[in-house]
Amino acid sequence: MNALLATVLQLVGVALAPLLPGTIQTLKARLQGRRGPSPLQPYRTLRRLWSKSSVAPDGAGVIYRMAPPLVAACALVAIAIVPLAGFSYDLGVGHDVLALIGVLALGRFALAVSAWDTGNGFSLMGAARDVMLAVFAEALLALTFLVAALPAHSTDLGRMISAAAGVHPWQQIAHWCGAAAFILVVLVETGRQPIDNPDTHLELTMIHEGPLLEYAGRDLALLQWSAQARHWLVLLLGAELFLPHPLAFPGALGALALGIVAQCFGLAVIETAQAKMRTLRAPALLGLGCLVALAGVGTFVTGVA
Amino acid sequence: MTVLLLVGAATLAVGGLLAAVPGSRRTPGGGRISGTILLQALGMTLMGVTGAAALLRDRRIGMSFHSSVSPALGLDPLSGFFLALLALTAVPTLIFADAYLSGVQGAGRRRALSALMAGFLLALTGVLTARDPMTFLASWELMTMLPAASILISRRDPEVRAAVYAYVAITHLGGAGVWIALLVAAHHGALGHPQALTAAGGATQALVAIAALIGFGTKAGLVPLHSWLPRAHPVAPAPMSALMSGMMIKVALYGLVRVEFDWLGTQPLWLGLAVVAVGLLSSLGGILWALAQRDLKRLLAYSSIENVGVITLGLGASLILLHGGDRLWASLAFAAAMFHTVNHAIFKSLLFLGAGAIERAVGSLDLDHLGGLMRRMPWTGGAFLIGALALAGLPPLGGFASEWLTLQTLLHVALRGPLGVSLTGAVALAGLAATAALAALAFIKVVGLVLLGRPRTERCAHAIEAPVKMRVGVSSLAALCVLLGLVPGIVVPKLMGLLPYGQHLAPRPGFAIPGTGSLPTLGIAIGLLLLTALLARTRGHSQPAPAAAPSWACGQAVTPQLDWTSAAFTKPLRLVLDALMRPHRQLEVVQTGTITQRIHYVSHTPSLVDRLLYEPTVRAALRAATLARRLQTGNIRTYAGYLAALVTLALVLLGTGVLR
Repeated sequence: MNALLATVLQLVGVALAPLLPGTIQTLKARLQGRRGPSPLQPYRTLRRLWSKSSVAPDGAGVIYRMAPPLVAACALVAIAIVPLAGFSYDLGVGHDVLALIGVLALGRFALAVSAWDTGNGFSLMGAARDVMLAVFAEALLALTFLVAALPAHSTDLGRMISAAAGVHPWQQIAHWCGAAAFILVVLVETGRQPIDNPDTHLELTMIHEGPLLEYAGRDLALLQWSAQARHWLVLLLGAELFLPHPLAFPGALGALALGIVAQCFGLAVIETAQAKMRTLRAPALLGLGCLVALAGVGTFVTGVA
Repeated sequence: MTVLLLVGAATLAVGGLLAAVPGSRRTPGGGRISGTILLQALGMTLMGVTGAAALLRDRRIGMSFHSSVSPALGLDPLSGFFLALLALTAVPTLIFADAYLSGVQGAGRRRALSALMAGFLLALTGVLTARDPMTFLASWELMTMLPAASILISRRDPEVRAAVYAYVAITHLGGAGVWIALLVAAHHGALGHPQALTAAGGATQALVAIAALIGFGTKAGLVPLHSWLPRAHPVAPAPMSALMSGMMIKVALYGLVRVEFDWLGTQPLWLGLAVVAVGLLSSLGGILWALAQRDLKRLLAYSSIENVGVITLGLGASLILLHGGDRLWASLAFAAAMFHTVNHAIFKSLLFLGAGAIERAVGSLDLDHLGGLMRRMPWTGGAFLIGALALAGLPPLGGFASEWLTLQTLLHVALRGPLGVSLTGAVALAGLAATAALAALAFIKVVGLVLLGRPRTERCAHAIEAPVKMRVGVSSLAALCVLLGLVPGIVVPKLMGLLPYGQHLAPRPGFAIPGTGSLPTLGIAIGLLLLTALLARTRGHSQPAPAAAPSWACGQAVTPQLDWTSAAFTKPLRLVLDALMRPHRQLEVVQTGTITQRIHYVSHTPSLVDRLLYEPTVRAALRAATLARRLQTGNIRTYAGYLAALVTLALVLLGTGVLR
């Protein structure tokens, strides 16, 4: 019974993922005084892509063919690792936060390697920037998760989420530091401004979009869904680890929904107010996040409240 | 058991000697597996079995450690573990070498290399089984010199000779630390008696600890004493570089563990912090310079420095936790380091052997002159890809499992406080995460440039798959990588037994550590595999095979000039870390009138440590030598003057009673 419920809950995540970028786009358009597309636009795009045929570039081989399913599988496993609304049931992949980082890294590796298989300069340019940012993003990710793991004494997401529930964590400076650093995690992992511009149509400025250039049809649909699943994962983690929420199941679900919507709104505001920064300046910003998280670790250990 | 060990060593020695006999038909090179290699592999297997028995049954074989000069040999679980690991990597390497050596020019050279390999394996075994200081130091020196000999035999150009000179010089200067540590420890009778050094006092303990860290650290390739490694490893013949990177630097770590954990008695806190700092410096430094390399084997050598750093991080965490009295976690951290040792030994041997096979097939290791080999060499390429994935620390392979465990222990260090220790743990955690991402970046580049895309040279386009024996060598190592990634939880409890902690963690496929998260490796691997297969099916079902089209280059024709190079892919990171990496660029434009005829661009990234540490040292040494040379006038009267001065000085000293 629990297994069934857990599977259903995770499938909700799979299904809702495309809604998040759609919502952000709609909110952003409203904030900018445009009407903008419907929040359901990503679903329509996915349906359209699913019925198209695919084209492979000359010389591309098995890595190019296998990358989209592998990237999507990584996203699916990652979704299964993160428990929803404090309801943690192990689907066989555990709930470990370091395993989550590893699985996401595998997806990134597969995508970047596929860019080499196509040999496309623009894909490689995007992949090179993506993996460069990943170096700093992974350090930041490890540190923010460390801040969240300190009160739980565990890297198990279920325990981390319950340790972050209620009012108590907010009395600690460490939690505030973690939340501040996590804002940067959200920006870099979702690939949004000021770090990356998801709306760009200029190959030279692409980061996350770059390696997708050569794909078409269902391959592209899988890759786009994977990017949307990343939105889902990161916003879900943000709401569960660094936004206020109760511990009990129904209330947690409500707080989760609110938290995700609030983060979408926040991202829309940032995208409206903030231009994309130079790619080479982004690591400094992420480094700042690392320092904030380190300060959080320091205050937690010394017991400064 | 002792008999098995001795028979193994004797078989290995006989195999090596027979290989050296001129005119013998048993020398490597035939179509079948040659007799001498078979003997060597058999000897190695026998010794490996003995080692595994010592580890698994937790037994001591032969004699135990003593501090006097009479020679003694024996095994305990720790050296048994390293010996088993040596056999695990050496046997595939020997099988590979059988095919590899047949391509070496000249029968004499082939014989010498084959014999030297057996000698090198014996020396490694000698270090591991030595139970007295003299045998240890003798094997240690042999272990340093034999690879140098094999490099000089296989290649003679001045560049290689300079590399070997740097190798021998740096490892000997640093290696003095090994002698100091061992002889001081033996002087106090500390070999096998850890209380002795504790009784000898803090200063002696500190001397031994620091001397061992410098001595063994040099040989293990820890930054800043690593400079010999990226020079010597790439120029050795492939099986030799596999053994050097796979095992020789691990044997140095064995020495480090033996002194710091076994003989030191009590571990001071500063030692743990220093070891973590050195480990962090090595892992980040190693992989950053690896990124800047264009030569495949040089890149692999730098990544060995990174991995030794990761292992050292685990050892440092273990020392810190031991000081804090947290036996369970200290033992876990130790097991994490040892498990990464296993993983690195296997995947680095695999990658070096793969590089050797590729060099044989296409005649070059310049990353910008390879490409498209996955299609031409599916076996070697596939194994190489698995090795690269394991090195990049990606699930579901062995490298990920050991990095996960190391991250967990660093997290635990961060959790324990006090503030300084805790922040050290947190910084090391972030550093290790960044190291993993950098390793992924480096090996995305390697996989892309070597295996994928279009072949960049004519020879790559017509490369032929390596011979069966080479394939067997790399494939068996790749299978081990996968296996270790699937069931790491079976190996790790055994390794925790090397630093006893009074409890027993039940073996299971994944990790489930009391008091923190768990890693169901099998579940993640099966999940990834099933979902990928499922998605690949749904994707490919209702569609015809994809049509081929030129890749998108904004409407230009796609020409080889548009191909990306090794330097291009790492450029964003080089720009971000400009202050740290200090690349040298040289741009030369030849123009006639306003027409550009030719553009020549050279860029290389010198090692910062070389420039800031080694170059001043070398300059100072040369200056001192110039000064000393002034004493040598070549004039007989000056020498007579020196003699007279010396006699006078001696008489004065005798007269004043200083000399008696």
